[in-house]
Amino acid sequence: MNPFESTPAVTMQGQFNTSDTHKYSVILPTYNERKNLPVIVWLLAKTFQENGLEWEVIVVDDASPDGTQDIAKELANVYGEDKILLRPRAGKLGLGTAYIHGLNFVTGDFVIIMDADFSHHPKFIPQFIQLQKAHNLDIVTGTRYRSTSTPYLEEASPGGVHGWDLKRKLVSRGANFLASTVLSPGVSDLTGSFRLYRLPVLRHIISETVSKGYVFQMEMMVRARALGYSVGEVPITFVDRIFGESKLGADEIVSYGKGVWALFTTV
Amino acid sequence: MARAHRVAAIAVFSTVLYFLAFFQYVSVPFVSESTALALLPVLPWWLLVSFGAYSLWSLGWGLFTFRDCPEAYQELLGEITAAKNDLRSKGVTVD
Repeated sequence: MNPFESTPAVTMQGQFNTSDTHKYSVILPTYNERKNLPVIVWLLAKTFQENGLEWEVIVVDDASPDGTQDIAKELANVYGEDKILLRPRAGKLGLGTAYIHGLNFVTGDFVIIMDADFSHHPKFIPQFIQLQKAHNLDIVTGTRYRSTSTPYLEEASPGGVHGWDLKRKLVSRGANFLASTVLSPGVSDLTGSFRLYRLPVLRHIISETVSKGYVFQMEMMVRARALGYSVGEVPITFVDRIFGESKLGADEIVSYGKGVWALFTTV
Repeated sequence: MARAHRVAAIAVFSTVLYFLAFFQYVSVPFVSESTALALLPVLPWWLLVSFGAYSLWSLGWGLFTFRDCPEAYQELLGEITAAKNDLRSKGVTVD
């Protein structure tokens, strides 16, 4: 077979007008993020501009009563209507469907999903991109539990969490151990939601995913592994609840256990 | 085939092999009869205790190596202030 006609050779270079040749679409589901949205968009814009990347942010707002959509429109005036896309929905319809809705408007060839509350910092996006390019990965996920990336990346700094006490850390490690033993997912942080996906890969995985809530994130990763997509990990720092305290109730723990069991028996 | 089915299949297969050896229908290769008779009854308990020990170690090590990142928090606070000032100057309503 002609190596110049193999799939990676043909698809690795994108069609866009930067030296990077790819466009990165960030899907940002928001609900009452009036205070956080401008700052997160500013950080994203700064990161993308400093690295010479083509970008866009798709704000999927679930009819926030606090005026998040007005702020998004002001940001669109500052950065451009082609950079900040406000695509609202009629009500609070959940995270998974927010991504599906956002995917309808993606014009890039890579999609980044992240939280809008500063727990995920855009400064790690260039590291995700670098790792993805170095190994032609389908998915790159951020991990809070590792100090080095897999595969190796020199620029990666150790991950960590700010704002968790010992009990919260124990719960987190226990949950992760449970999921790792039962599901063997091949990633160290299964509940993390800071990820870079190749667009066709994300479309495929989302079409197969059935759960709701944050088990959705876990299911996406487990299905990705089951479907054979290549996954890399980059350590990230996670600043939880910059305003206020992090709480984890018993209900969430039970639903987490149920989610892991559901994944064990269906995937 | 879901993961649960794969795990169940391997578990059933291993259990059948174990009981075949335990009740001496099949002889265990490379070890003598007396050694096998002494070891097989305790094998499941040994596996259980080993798994428990591994789990405890894993949790403890995970807790021990769980990094805090106060510098990330401080950096983020500084960036939030810078972002707000910059955006205010561009006409976006912040706060």
